[in-house]
Amino acid sequence: MRPFATVVTALCGLVLSSSAIVSADASSTSSKTLLPADFKPPQVFKNVNLVRNTNLEKGYARETVNVVVENVDKQPQSDYYLSFPSDTFDRVGGLEVRNKKEAEKGRFDVEAVEVDLARDVQYFVVHLPEPLAPSSQVTLGISYSLLNSLHPRPATIEQSDRQYLTYSFSAYVPSAYQTVTQKAKLKFPGTNVPDYTTTDLKSGQDPERQGSTYTYGPYNTADVAPGTSYPITVRYEFTKPVVTASLLERDLEVSHWGGNLATEERYWLHNNGSKLSNHFSRVDWTVANYQQSPSSAIRELRYPLKPGSVDPYFIDDIGNVSTSRYRPGLATREANLDFKPRFPIFGGWNYSFRIGWNNELSSFLRRAVSGADSYVLKVPFLEGPKMAEGVQYEKVVVRVILPEGARNVRYQTVEGPLSNGLPGASQIQSSLSTHKTFMDTLGRTTLTLTVESLTDEARDSQLVITYDHSLWDALRKPVAFTAGLLSVFAATWAIANIDVSIKKR
Amino acid sequence: MSLNQVWEAASASPYTPFVAKDSQFAFGFTLLLLALLLTGIFGLNRSFLSIASIGIPASLAFGFGTVYMICAVGVYV
Repeated sequence: MRPFATVVTALCGLVLSSSAIVSADASSTSSKTLLPADFKPPQVFKNVNLVRNTNLEKGYARETVNVVVENVDKQPQSDYYLSFPSDTFDRVGGLEVRNKKEAEKGRFDVEAVEVDLARDVQYFVVHLPEPLAPSSQVTLGISYSLLNSLHPRPATIEQSDRQYLTYSFSAYVPSAYQTVTQKAKLKFPGTNVPDYTTTDLKSGQDPERQGSTYTYGPYNTADVAPGTSYPITVRYEFTKPVVTASLLERDLEVSHWGGNLATEERYWLHNNGSKLSNHFSRVDWTVANYQQSPSSAIRELRYPLKPGSVDPYFIDDIGNVSTSRYRPGLATREANLDFKPRFPIFGGWNYSFRIGWNNELSSFLRRAVSGADSYVLKVPFLEGPKMAEGVQYEKVVVRVILPEGARNVRYQTVEGPLSNGLPGASQIQSSLSTHKTFMDTLGRTTLTLTVESLTDEARDSQLVITYDHSLWDALRKPVAFTAGLLSVFAATWAIANIDVSIKKR
Repeated sequence: MSLNQVWEAASASPYTPFVAKDSQFAFGFTLLLLALLLTGIFGLNRSFLSIASIGIPASLAFGFGTVYMICAVGVYV
Protein backbone atom coordinates (compact mmCIF):
# COMPACT_ATOMS: atom_id res chain seq x y z
CA MET A 1 0.00 0.00 0.00
CA ARG A 2 2.93 2.29 0.57
CA PRO A 3 3.50 3.42 -3.03
CA PHE A 4 -0.23 4.11 -3.42
CA ALA A 5 -0.34 6.15 -0.23
CA THR A 6 2.74 8.11 -1.28
CA VAL A 7 1.24 8.88 -4.68
CA VAL A 8 -2.04 10.02 -3.12
CA THR A 9 -0.25 12.20 -0.56
CA ALA A 10 1.83 13.79 -3.32
CA LEU A 11 -1.28 14.46 -5.39
CA CYS A 12 -3.07 15.91 -2.37
CA GLY A 13 -0.24 18.37 -1.84
CA LEU A 14 -0.19 19.30 -5.50
CA VAL A 15 -3.88 20.10 -5.67
CA LEU A 16 -4.39 21.63 -2.26
CA SER A 17 -1.49 24.01 -2.69
CA SER A 18 -2.81 25.18 -6.02
CA SER A 19 -6.47 25.40 -5.04
CA ALA A 20 -5.69 28.45 -2.89
CA ILE A 21 -4.56 30.30 -6.01
CA VAL A 22 -7.69 29.18 -7.82
CA SER A 23 -10.02 30.57 -5.21
CA ALA A 24 -8.05 33.81 -5.08
CA ASP A 25 -8.41 34.21 -8.82
CA ALA A 26 -11.96 33.16 -9.36
CA SER A 27 -13.83 34.13 -6.24
CA SER A 28 -15.93 37.20 -6.36
CA THR A 29 -18.98 37.89 -4.32
CA SER A 30 -21.87 40.08 -5.24
CA SER A 31 -20.89 43.60 -4.34
CA LYS A 32 -23.06 46.06 -2.47
CA THR A 33 -22.07 49.59 -1.60
CA LEU A 34 -22.99 50.57 1.94
CA LEU A 35 -24.49 54.03 2.39
CA PRO A 36 -25.95 55.88 5.40
CA ALA A 37 -29.66 55.42 6.14
CA ASP A 38 -30.59 59.04 5.33
CA PHE A 39 -28.78 58.92 1.97
CA LYS A 40 -30.24 60.84 -0.95
CA PRO A 41 -28.63 60.85 -4.38
CA PRO A 42 -27.03 64.24 -5.10
CA GLN A 43 -29.18 66.17 -7.58
CA VAL A 44 -26.47 66.47 -10.24
CA PHE A 45 -28.42 65.02 -13.15
CA LYS A 46 -31.66 65.83 -14.93
CA ASN A 47 -33.68 63.41 -17.07
CA VAL A 48 -34.45 65.49 -20.14
CA ASN A 49 -36.63 62.88 -21.79
CA LEU A 50 -37.63 59.44 -20.60
CA VAL A 51 -39.49 56.67 -22.43
CA ARG A 52 -40.38 53.50 -20.56
CA ASN A 53 -41.44 50.43 -22.56
CA THR A 54 -43.06 47.67 -20.54
CA ASN A 55 -43.56 44.33 -22.21
CA LEU A 56 -46.24 42.17 -20.59
CA GLU A 57 -46.33 39.44 -23.23
CA LYS A 58 -44.61 36.95 -20.95
CA GLY A 59 -45.18 35.77 -17.39
CA TYR A 60 -43.06 38.62 -16.03
CA ALA A 61 -42.72 42.30 -16.84
CA ARG A 62 -39.75 43.29 -18.98
CA GLU A 63 -38.97 47.01 -18.95
CA THR A 64 -36.71 49.00 -21.23
CA VAL A 65 -36.14 52.60 -20.23
CA ASN A 66 -34.46 54.98 -22.63
CA VAL A 67 -33.52 58.23 -20.92
CA VAL A 68 -31.59 61.30 -22.02
CA VAL A 69 -29.55 62.36 -18.99
CA GLU A 70 -27.97 65.80 -18.61
CA ASN A 71 -25.37 66.83 -16.06
CA VAL A 72 -26.72 69.96 -14.31
CA ASP A 73 -23.78 70.23 -11.89
CA LYS A 74 -20.68 72.35 -12.31
CA GLN A 75 -18.39 69.32 -11.99
CA PRO A 76 -18.14 66.24 -14.24
CA GLN A 77 -20.27 63.44 -12.77
CA SER A 78 -20.04 59.66 -13.21
CA ASP A 79 -22.46 58.05 -10.71
CA TYR A 80 -26.08 57.86 -11.85
CA TYR A 81 -28.54 56.43 -9.31
CA LEU A 82 -31.42 54.21 -10.40
CA SER A 83 -34.19 54.06 -7.85
CA PHE A 84 -36.69 51.25 -7.33
CA PRO A 85 -39.46 50.87 -4.75
CA SER A 86 -38.26 48.61 -1.90
CA ASP A 87 -40.83 45.92 -2.65
CA THR A 88 -39.59 45.48 -6.24
CA PHE A 89 -35.87 46.06 -5.64
CA ASP A 90 -35.09 42.39 -4.87
CA ARG A 91 -37.11 41.24 -7.87
CA VAL A 92 -35.19 43.23 -10.46
CA GLY A 93 -33.53 40.70 -12.76
CA GLY A 94 -30.91 40.98 -15.50
CA LEU A 95 -30.38 44.72 -15.00
CA GLU A 96 -28.28 46.19 -17.77
CA VAL A 97 -27.36 49.79 -18.59
CA ARG A 98 -25.70 50.85 -21.83
CA ASN A 99 -25.05 53.99 -23.75
CA LYS A 100 -27.94 53.79 -26.20
CA LYS A 101 -25.93 55.42 -28.98
CA GLU A 102 -22.85 53.22 -28.46
CA ALA A 103 -24.46 49.92 -27.46
CA GLU A 104 -21.60 47.92 -28.98
CA LYS A 105 -19.20 49.33 -26.38
CA GLY A 106 -20.78 47.12 -23.76
CA ARG A 107 -22.60 47.52 -20.51
CA PHE A 108 -21.79 49.92 -17.69
CA ASP A 109 -20.85 48.74 -14.20
CA VAL A 110 -23.91 48.63 -11.96
CA GLU A 111 -23.83 48.05 -8.21
CA ALA A 112 -26.62 47.55 -5.70
CA VAL A 113 -26.55 50.17 -2.97
CA GLU A 114 -27.30 48.95 0.52
CA VAL A 115 -29.19 51.41 2.68
CA ASP A 116 -31.68 51.10 5.50
CA LEU A 117 -34.08 48.27 4.63
CA ALA A 118 -37.04 50.17 6.08
CA ARG A 119 -36.80 52.82 3.36
CA ASP A 120 -39.38 53.11 0.62
CA VAL A 121 -36.82 53.44 -2.14
CA GLN A 122 -33.61 51.51 -2.83
CA TYR A 123 -30.91 52.30 -5.36
CA PHE A 124 -28.61 50.81 -7.94
CA VAL A 125 -25.68 53.01 -8.89
CA VAL A 126 -24.51 53.13 -12.51
CA HIS A 127 -20.84 54.00 -12.96
CA LEU A 128 -20.42 55.81 -16.24
CA PRO A 129 -17.09 54.81 -17.82
CA GLU A 130 -16.28 58.45 -18.56
CA PRO A 131 -17.52 61.27 -16.31
CA LEU A 132 -20.23 63.34 -17.97
CA ALA A 133 -19.09 66.94 -18.46
CA PRO A 134 -21.31 69.78 -17.15
CA SER A 135 -24.30 70.56 -19.43
CA SER A 136 -23.58 67.58 -21.67
CA GLN A 137 -25.99 64.72 -22.28
CA VAL A 138 -25.90 60.95 -22.61
CA THR A 139 -28.69 58.56 -23.62
CA LEU A 140 -28.93 55.57 -21.33
CA GLY A 141 -30.65 52.34 -22.35
CA ILE A 142 -31.73 50.60 -19.13
CA SER A 143 -33.29 47.15 -19.37
CA TYR A 144 -34.43 44.78 -16.65
CA SER A 145 -37.13 42.27 -15.76
CA LEU A 146 -39.45 42.46 -12.78
CA LEU A 147 -40.09 38.97 -11.43
CA ASN A 148 -43.33 38.07 -9.66
CA SER A 149 -44.75 41.45 -10.63
CA LEU A 150 -47.92 40.09 -12.25
CA HIS A 151 -50.78 39.03 -10.00
CA PRO A 152 -53.82 36.98 -11.07
CA ARG A 153 -57.22 38.69 -10.61
CA PRO A 154 -59.47 36.95 -9.82
CA ALA A 155 -57.11 34.94 -7.68
CA THR A 156 -59.21 31.78 -8.15
CA ILE A 157 -60.90 30.63 -11.35
CA GLU A 158 -62.67 27.59 -12.76
CA GLN A 159 -60.51 25.06 -14.57
CA SER A 160 -61.53 26.14 -18.09
CA ASP A 161 -61.93 29.89 -17.34
CA ARG A 162 -59.82 32.60 -18.86
CA GLN A 163 -57.08 33.96 -16.65
CA TYR A 164 -56.44 37.67 -16.05
CA LEU A 165 -53.32 39.27 -14.62
CA THR A 166 -52.84 42.71 -13.09
CA TYR A 167 -49.77 44.86 -13.25
CA SER A 168 -49.33 47.96 -11.07
CA PHE A 169 -46.83 50.70 -11.65
CA SER A 170 -46.46 54.45 -11.31
CA ALA A 171 -47.24 56.80 -14.20
CA TYR A 172 -44.25 58.84 -13.05
CA VAL A 173 -41.11 56.75 -13.25
CA PRO A 174 -39.60 56.43 -9.75
CA SER A 175 -36.45 58.32 -10.70
CA ALA A 176 -34.01 59.86 -8.25
CA TYR A 177 -33.74 62.93 -10.47
CA GLN A 178 -36.00 65.59 -11.91
CA THR A 179 -37.59 64.39 -15.15
CA VAL A 180 -38.73 66.95 -17.73
CA THR A 181 -40.87 64.79 -20.02
CA GLN A 182 -41.74 61.14 -19.78
CA LYS A 183 -44.11 58.53 -21.12
CA ALA A 184 -44.81 54.87 -20.53
CA LYS A 185 -45.73 52.37 -23.24
CA LEU A 186 -47.28 49.05 -22.34
CA LYS A 187 -47.38 46.09 -24.70
CA PHE A 188 -50.05 43.54 -23.79
CA PRO A 189 -50.19 39.94 -25.06
CA GLY A 190 -53.55 40.67 -26.71
CA THR A 191 -56.29 43.26 -27.08
CA ASN A 192 -58.45 41.95 -24.23
CA VAL A 193 -57.69 44.53 -21.50
CA PRO A 194 -60.91 44.82 -19.44
CA ASP A 195 -59.59 47.24 -16.79
CA TYR A 196 -57.02 49.99 -16.84
CA THR A 197 -56.55 53.24 -14.95
CA THR A 198 -57.35 56.42 -16.86
CA THR A 199 -55.66 59.65 -15.80
CA ASP A 200 -56.15 63.39 -16.24
CA LEU A 201 -52.44 64.08 -16.11
CA LYS A 202 -52.49 65.42 -19.66
CA SER A 203 -55.02 66.96 -22.00
CA GLY A 204 -56.83 64.44 -24.16
CA GLN A 205 -57.21 60.75 -23.68
CA ASP A 206 -54.79 59.01 -21.34
CA PRO A 207 -53.83 56.26 -22.04
CA GLU A 208 -53.83 56.29 -25.82
CA ARG A 209 -54.66 52.89 -27.21
CA GLN A 210 -53.34 51.37 -30.41
CA GLY A 211 -54.05 47.65 -30.78
CA SER A 212 -52.39 45.89 -27.87
CA THR A 213 -50.16 48.89 -27.07
CA TYR A 214 -51.27 51.47 -24.49
CA THR A 215 -49.34 54.70 -24.02
CA TYR A 216 -49.49 56.75 -20.83
CA GLY A 217 -48.22 60.28 -21.40
CA PRO A 218 -46.20 62.08 -22.53
CA TYR A 219 -46.30 64.10 -19.33
CA ASN A 220 -44.54 67.34 -18.61
CA THR A 221 -43.13 66.60 -15.18
CA ALA A 222 -40.56 69.39 -14.80
CA ASP A 223 -42.43 70.64 -11.70
CA VAL A 224 -43.09 67.21 -10.20
CA ALA A 225 -40.74 66.30 -7.35
CA PRO A 226 -38.52 63.25 -7.99
CA GLY A 227 -40.03 60.14 -6.43
CA THR A 228 -43.64 61.27 -6.80
CA SER A 229 -45.90 58.33 -7.47
CA TYR A 230 -49.15 58.10 -9.44
CA PRO A 231 -50.43 54.53 -9.19
CA ILE A 232 -51.74 52.84 -12.31
CA THR A 233 -53.13 49.33 -12.52
CA VAL A 234 -53.95 47.40 -15.65
CA ARG A 235 -55.74 44.06 -15.90
CA TYR A 236 -55.44 41.96 -19.03
CA GLU A 237 -56.13 38.47 -20.28
CA PHE A 238 -53.27 36.00 -19.99
CA THR A 239 -54.69 32.49 -20.31
CA LYS A 240 -51.27 30.92 -20.17
CA PRO A 241 -49.29 29.58 -17.23
CA VAL A 242 -47.06 31.93 -15.25
CA VAL A 243 -44.09 29.58 -15.22
CA THR A 244 -41.80 30.20 -12.27
CA ALA A 245 -38.78 28.18 -11.20
CA SER A 246 -38.17 28.93 -7.55
CA LEU A 247 -34.82 27.18 -7.95
CA LEU A 248 -32.87 25.83 -10.89
CA GLU A 249 -29.73 23.85 -10.25
CA ARG A 250 -27.72 23.29 -13.39
CA ASP A 251 -24.67 21.01 -13.45
CA LEU A 252 -22.21 20.90 -16.33
CA GLU A 253 -19.71 18.07 -15.91
CA VAL A 254 -16.59 18.03 -18.06
CA SER A 255 -14.92 14.67 -18.67
CA HIS A 256 -11.59 14.69 -20.49
CA TRP A 257 -11.31 10.89 -20.43
CA GLY A 258 -14.79 10.34 -21.81
CA GLY A 259 -14.71 13.33 -24.20
CA ASN A 260 -18.12 14.25 -22.81
CA LEU A 261 -20.01 17.23 -21.46
CA ALA A 262 -22.84 15.99 -19.25
CA THR A 263 -25.61 18.45 -18.38
CA GLU A 264 -28.18 17.92 -15.67
CA GLU A 265 -30.82 20.41 -14.59
CA ARG A 266 -33.00 20.17 -11.52
CA TYR A 267 -36.11 22.35 -11.52
CA TRP A 268 -38.46 23.31 -8.73
CA LEU A 269 -41.32 24.62 -10.84
CA HIS A 270 -44.36 26.58 -9.72
CA ASN A 271 -47.29 28.15 -11.54
CA ASN A 272 -47.99 31.65 -10.24
CA GLY A 273 -51.33 31.89 -12.08
CA SER A 274 -54.89 31.82 -10.69
CA LYS A 275 -55.64 28.93 -8.36
CA LEU A 276 -58.50 26.53 -9.04
CA SER A 277 -61.73 27.47 -7.26
CA ASN A 278 -63.00 23.88 -7.48
CA HIS A 279 -61.46 20.43 -7.47
CA PHE A 280 -59.47 19.37 -10.52
CA SER A 281 -61.67 17.63 -13.08
CA ARG A 282 -60.00 14.99 -15.20
CA VAL A 283 -62.93 15.00 -17.66
CA ASP A 284 -62.76 18.78 -18.25
CA TRP A 285 -59.02 18.50 -18.67
CA THR A 286 -59.31 15.75 -21.27
CA VAL A 287 -61.91 17.77 -23.20
CA ALA A 288 -59.73 20.93 -23.04
CA ASN A 289 -56.76 18.92 -24.28
CA TYR A 290 -58.78 17.43 -27.12
CA GLN A 291 -59.93 20.88 -28.20
CA GLN A 292 -56.46 22.35 -27.64
CA SER A 293 -58.12 25.31 -25.88
CA PRO A 294 -55.84 27.74 -24.04
CA SER A 295 -55.28 26.91 -20.40
CA SER A 296 -53.67 28.51 -17.38
CA ALA A 297 -51.97 25.16 -16.62
CA ILE A 298 -48.53 24.04 -17.73
CA ARG A 299 -49.32 21.33 -20.23
CA GLU A 300 -46.01 20.71 -21.91
CA LEU A 301 -42.52 22.17 -21.87
CA ARG A 302 -40.47 22.51 -25.03
CA TYR A 303 -36.75 22.38 -24.61
CA PRO A 304 -34.45 22.99 -27.59
CA LEU A 305 -31.07 21.35 -27.06
CA LYS A 306 -27.74 21.97 -28.76
CA PRO A 307 -27.02 20.03 -31.97
CA GLY A 308 -25.52 16.63 -31.20
CA SER A 309 -27.22 16.22 -27.80
CA VAL A 310 -27.74 12.53 -26.93
CA ASP A 311 -28.99 10.30 -24.09
CA PRO A 312 -31.71 12.63 -22.75
CA TYR A 313 -33.61 11.68 -19.60
CA PHE A 314 -36.54 13.17 -17.71
CA ILE A 315 -37.18 11.94 -14.18
CA ASP A 316 -39.01 13.23 -11.12
CA ASP A 317 -39.34 12.16 -7.49
CA ILE A 318 -41.22 8.99 -8.50
CA GLY A 319 -38.91 7.90 -11.31
CA ASN A 320 -38.73 8.04 -15.08
CA VAL A 321 -41.51 10.07 -16.71
CA SER A 322 -42.44 8.42 -19.99
CA THR A 323 -44.43 11.35 -21.43
CA SER A 324 -41.52 12.90 -23.25
CA ARG A 325 -40.51 12.98 -26.86
CA TYR A 326 -37.02 13.56 -28.10
CA ARG A 327 -36.26 14.63 -31.62
CA PRO A 328 -32.51 14.45 -32.12
CA GLY A 329 -31.08 17.18 -34.30
CA LEU A 330 -28.57 16.72 -37.05
CA ALA A 331 -24.98 17.92 -36.68
CA THR A 332 -25.97 21.52 -37.29
CA ARG A 333 -29.66 21.57 -36.37
CA GLU A 334 -30.76 21.83 -32.77
CA ALA A 335 -32.47 18.89 -31.08
CA ASN A 336 -35.82 19.15 -29.31
CA LEU A 337 -36.96 17.63 -26.05
CA ASP A 338 -40.71 18.02 -25.54
CA PHE A 339 -41.86 16.76 -22.18
CA LYS A 340 -45.13 16.70 -20.33
CA PRO A 341 -45.09 16.81 -16.55
CA ARG A 342 -46.71 13.91 -14.74
CA PHE A 343 -49.78 16.11 -14.15
CA PRO A 344 -50.94 19.51 -15.49
CA ILE A 345 -49.58 22.27 -13.26
CA PHE A 346 -52.36 24.71 -12.39
CA GLY A 347 -51.96 27.96 -10.47
CA GLY A 348 -50.39 27.41 -7.05
CA TRP A 349 -49.25 23.88 -7.95
CA ASN A 350 -45.65 22.72 -7.79
CA TYR A 351 -43.64 20.19 -9.78
CA SER A 352 -39.99 19.29 -9.36
CA PHE A 353 -38.07 17.21 -11.86
CA ARG A 354 -34.67 16.71 -13.41
CA ILE A 355 -33.58 16.44 -17.01
CA GLY A 356 -30.17 15.69 -18.44
CA TRP A 357 -28.29 14.88 -21.62
CA ASN A 358 -24.77 14.42 -23.04
CA ASN A 359 -22.76 16.25 -25.67
CA GLU A 360 -19.43 15.68 -27.41
CA LEU A 361 -16.85 17.69 -25.51
CA SER A 362 -15.02 18.75 -28.69
CA SER A 363 -17.76 21.32 -29.47
CA PHE A 364 -17.27 23.02 -26.09
CA LEU A 365 -13.61 22.59 -25.15
CA ARG A 366 -10.46 23.79 -26.89
CA ARG A 367 -6.79 23.75 -26.03
CA ALA A 368 -5.77 27.34 -25.38
CA VAL A 369 -2.98 28.71 -27.55
CA SER A 370 -1.20 30.14 -24.50
CA GLY A 371 -0.06 26.84 -22.99
CA ALA A 372 -0.05 23.09 -23.61
CA ASP A 373 -1.94 22.41 -20.37
CA SER A 374 -4.42 25.28 -20.70
CA TYR A 375 -7.98 24.68 -21.76
CA VAL A 376 -10.83 26.99 -22.64
CA LEU A 377 -14.43 25.89 -22.19
CA LYS A 378 -17.45 27.68 -23.64
CA VAL A 379 -20.83 26.50 -22.43
CA PRO A 380 -24.34 27.98 -22.25
CA PHE A 381 -24.88 29.72 -18.92
CA LEU A 382 -28.60 29.03 -19.03
CA GLU A 383 -30.70 26.94 -21.40
CA GLY A 384 -34.14 26.05 -20.07
CA PRO A 385 -37.49 25.60 -21.81
CA LYS A 386 -38.35 27.94 -24.68
CA MET A 387 -41.93 28.98 -24.11
CA ALA A 388 -44.04 31.78 -25.61
CA GLU A 389 -45.22 32.64 -22.10
CA GLY A 390 -41.66 32.86 -20.77
CA VAL A 391 -40.03 31.38 -17.70
CA GLN A 392 -38.84 33.30 -14.66
CA TYR A 393 -36.14 31.90 -12.37
CA GLU A 394 -36.01 33.16 -8.81
CA LYS A 395 -32.62 31.56 -8.21
CA VAL A 396 -30.21 29.83 -10.58
CA VAL A 397 -27.19 27.86 -9.36
CA VAL A 398 -24.83 26.84 -12.18
CA ARG A 399 -22.13 24.34 -11.20
CA VAL A 400 -19.37 23.70 -13.70
CA ILE A 401 -17.62 20.51 -12.59
CA LEU A 402 -14.15 20.55 -14.12
CA PRO A 403 -11.78 17.56 -14.19
CA GLU A 404 -9.96 16.59 -11.02
CA GLY A 405 -6.88 18.74 -10.53
CA ALA A 406 -8.01 21.67 -12.71
CA ARG A 407 -6.56 24.94 -11.43
CA ASN A 408 -6.18 28.62 -12.29
CA VAL A 409 -9.89 28.73 -13.02
CA ARG A 410 -11.12 31.99 -14.54
CA TYR A 411 -14.54 32.70 -15.94
CA GLN A 412 -16.37 35.38 -17.86
CA THR A 413 -19.83 35.74 -19.34
CA VAL A 414 -19.87 36.65 -23.01
CA GLU A 415 -21.10 40.15 -23.77
CA GLY A 416 -22.39 41.20 -27.16
CA PRO A 417 -23.88 44.34 -28.67
CA LEU A 418 -27.30 43.26 -27.36
CA SER A 419 -28.39 42.34 -23.86
CA ASN A 420 -27.56 38.76 -22.87
CA GLY A 421 -30.20 38.77 -20.14
CA LEU A 422 -27.67 38.33 -17.36
CA PRO A 423 -26.89 40.89 -14.69
CA GLY A 424 -23.42 42.43 -14.45
CA ALA A 425 -20.47 40.45 -13.09
CA SER A 426 -20.87 42.09 -9.67
CA GLN A 427 -24.34 40.54 -9.29
CA ILE A 428 -23.09 36.98 -9.99
CA GLN A 429 -21.79 35.22 -6.89
CA SER A 430 -19.06 32.68 -7.47
CA SER A 431 -17.22 30.14 -5.39
CA LEU A 432 -14.76 27.31 -5.95
CA SER A 433 -15.03 23.97 -4.22
CA THR A 434 -14.37 20.30 -4.82
CA HIS A 435 -17.01 17.75 -5.76
CA LYS A 436 -16.34 14.08 -5.07
CA THR A 437 -17.98 11.47 -7.22
CA PHE A 438 -17.08 8.26 -9.07
CA MET A 439 -13.37 7.33 -9.25
CA ASP A 440 -12.24 10.54 -7.57
CA THR A 441 -9.35 10.60 -5.16
CA LEU A 442 -9.35 14.30 -4.26
CA GLY A 443 -12.54 15.62 -5.81
CA ARG A 444 -13.18 17.64 -8.95
CA THR A 445 -12.69 21.36 -9.08
CA THR A 446 -16.14 22.93 -9.14
CA LEU A 447 -17.03 26.49 -10.05
CA THR A 448 -20.41 27.49 -8.64
CA LEU A 449 -22.15 30.58 -9.97
CA THR A 450 -25.31 31.84 -8.29
CA VAL A 451 -27.65 34.41 -9.78
CA GLU A 452 -30.95 35.56 -8.34
CA SER A 453 -33.86 36.84 -10.41
CA LEU A 454 -33.26 35.65 -13.95
CA THR A 455 -35.62 35.17 -16.84
CA ASP A 456 -35.51 33.19 -20.06
CA GLU A 457 -34.07 36.33 -21.70
CA ALA A 458 -30.75 34.81 -20.60
CA ARG A 459 -31.31 31.65 -22.68
CA ASP A 460 -28.59 32.37 -25.19
CA SER A 461 -26.01 33.65 -22.70
CA GLN A 462 -22.60 31.98 -22.83
CA LEU A 463 -20.00 31.32 -20.18
CA VAL A 464 -16.29 31.00 -20.97
CA ILE A 465 -13.99 29.30 -18.48
CA THR A 466 -10.23 28.79 -18.73
CA TYR A 467 -8.29 26.36 -16.57
CA ASP A 468 -5.00 24.48 -16.43
CA HIS A 469 -4.97 20.70 -16.36
CA SER A 470 -1.71 18.79 -16.80
CA LEU A 471 -1.10 15.25 -18.03
CA TRP A 472 -0.25 14.23 -14.49
CA ASP A 473 -3.64 15.52 -13.30
CA ALA A 474 -5.32 13.50 -16.05
CA LEU A 475 -3.42 10.33 -15.09
CA ARG A 476 -4.56 10.52 -11.47
CA LYS A 477 -7.53 8.16 -11.97
CA PRO A 478 -5.78 5.32 -13.88
CA VAL A 479 -2.72 5.65 -11.65
CA ALA A 480 -4.86 5.27 -8.53
CA PHE A 481 -6.42 2.09 -9.90
CA THR A 482 -3.08 0.80 -11.17
CA ALA A 483 -1.57 1.35 -7.73
CA GLY A 484 -4.53 -0.41 -6.15
CA LEU A 485 -4.18 -3.60 -8.20
CA LEU A 486 -0.40 -3.51 -7.90
CA SER A 487 -0.71 -3.43 -4.14
CA VAL A 488 -2.99 -6.49 -4.34
CA PHE A 489 -0.28 -8.29 -6.33
CA ALA A 490 2.36 -7.25 -3.81
CA ALA A 491 0.18 -8.37 -0.92
CA THR A 492 -0.47 -11.73 -2.64
CA TRP A 493 3.24 -12.26 -3.14
CA ALA A 494 4.04 -11.26 0.45
CA ILE A 495 1.34 -13.45 1.95
CA ALA A 496 2.36 -16.39 -0.29
CA ASN A 497 5.89 -16.08 1.07
CA ILE A 498 4.82 -16.46 4.71
CA ASP A 499 5.69 -19.96 5.79
CA VAL A 500 2.79 -21.31 7.81
CA SER A 501 3.68 -25.01 7.49
CA ILE A 502 3.72 -27.18 10.65
CA LYS A 503 7.22 -28.47 10.89
CA LYS A 504 10.20 -28.39 13.15
CA ARG A 505 12.23 -25.22 12.67
CA MET B 1 -7.66 39.88 -23.65
CA SER B 2 -11.16 38.69 -22.85
CA LEU B 3 -11.72 34.99 -22.34
CA ASN B 4 -13.96 34.93 -25.41
CA GLN B 5 -10.96 36.06 -27.47
CA VAL B 6 -8.96 33.19 -25.92
CA TRP B 7 -11.74 30.89 -27.14
CA GLU B 8 -11.73 32.39 -30.62
CA ALA B 9 -7.93 32.17 -30.83
CA ALA B 10 -8.07 28.45 -30.00
CA SER B 11 -10.52 27.64 -32.82
CA ALA B 12 -7.94 25.48 -34.60
CA SER B 13 -7.43 23.13 -31.66
CA PRO B 14 -10.68 21.55 -30.43
CA TYR B 15 -10.21 19.00 -27.70
CA THR B 16 -10.18 15.41 -28.90
CA PRO B 17 -10.05 12.59 -26.38
CA PHE B 18 -7.44 9.83 -26.75
CA VAL B 19 -10.17 7.25 -27.36
CA ALA B 20 -13.36 8.31 -29.15
CA LYS B 21 -16.71 7.69 -27.47
CA ASP B 22 -17.65 4.87 -29.85
CA SER B 23 -14.47 2.90 -29.14
CA GLN B 24 -14.49 3.23 -25.35
CA PHE B 25 -16.25 -0.07 -24.68
CA ALA B 26 -14.00 -2.10 -27.00
CA PHE B 27 -10.89 -0.44 -25.62
CA GLY B 28 -11.91 -0.80 -21.98
CA PHE B 29 -13.11 -4.37 -22.42
CA THR B 30 -9.89 -5.45 -24.15
CA LEU B 31 -7.76 -3.90 -21.44
CA LEU B 32 -9.81 -5.45 -18.63
CA LEU B 33 -9.65 -8.87 -20.36
CA LEU B 34 -5.90 -8.49 -20.68
CA ALA B 35 -5.69 -7.55 -17.00
CA LEU B 36 -7.72 -10.64 -16.09
CA LEU B 37 -5.53 -12.93 -18.18
CA LEU B 38 -2.31 -11.47 -16.78
CA THR B 39 -3.67 -11.73 -13.24
CA GLY B 40 -4.40 -15.41 -13.91
CA ILE B 41 -0.85 -15.95 -15.14
CA PHE B 42 0.49 -14.13 -12.07
CA GLY B 43 -1.57 -16.49 -9.93
CA LEU B 44 0.34 -19.46 -11.35
CA ASN B 45 3.72 -18.05 -10.35
CA ARG B 46 3.59 -15.57 -7.50
CA SER B 47 7.24 -14.54 -7.47
CA PHE B 48 8.73 -11.08 -7.04
CA LEU B 49 9.87 -11.18 -10.66
CA SER B 50 6.28 -11.86 -11.72
CA ILE B 51 5.14 -8.65 -10.04
CA ALA B 52 7.55 -6.69 -12.22
CA SER B 53 7.02 -8.62 -15.45
CA ILE B 54 3.28 -9.44 -15.24
CA GLY B 55 1.86 -7.51 -12.28
CA ILE B 56 2.78 -4.05 -13.56
CA PRO B 57 1.36 -4.55 -17.09
CA ALA B 58 -1.75 -6.14 -15.56
CA SER B 59 -2.19 -3.20 -13.17
CA LEU B 60 -1.76 -0.67 -15.98
CA ALA B 61 -4.27 -2.50 -18.14
CA PHE B 62 -6.69 -2.59 -15.20
CA GLY B 63 -6.15 1.11 -14.37
CA PHE B 64 -6.85 2.38 -17.90
CA GLY B 65 -9.39 -0.36 -18.62
CA THR B 66 -11.59 0.64 -15.65
CA VAL B 67 -11.48 4.30 -16.65
CA TYR B 68 -12.63 3.55 -20.20
CA MET B 69 -15.16 0.93 -19.12
CA ILE B 70 -16.88 3.28 -16.65
CA CYS B 71 -16.99 5.94 -19.40
CA ALA B 72 -18.41 3.38 -21.84
CA VAL B 73 -21.32 2.58 -19.50
CA GLY B 74 -22.24 6.26 -19.24
CA VAL B 75 -20.47 7.45 -16.10
CA TYR B 76 -18.16 9.99 -17.65
CA VAL B 77 -15.32 10.40 -15.15
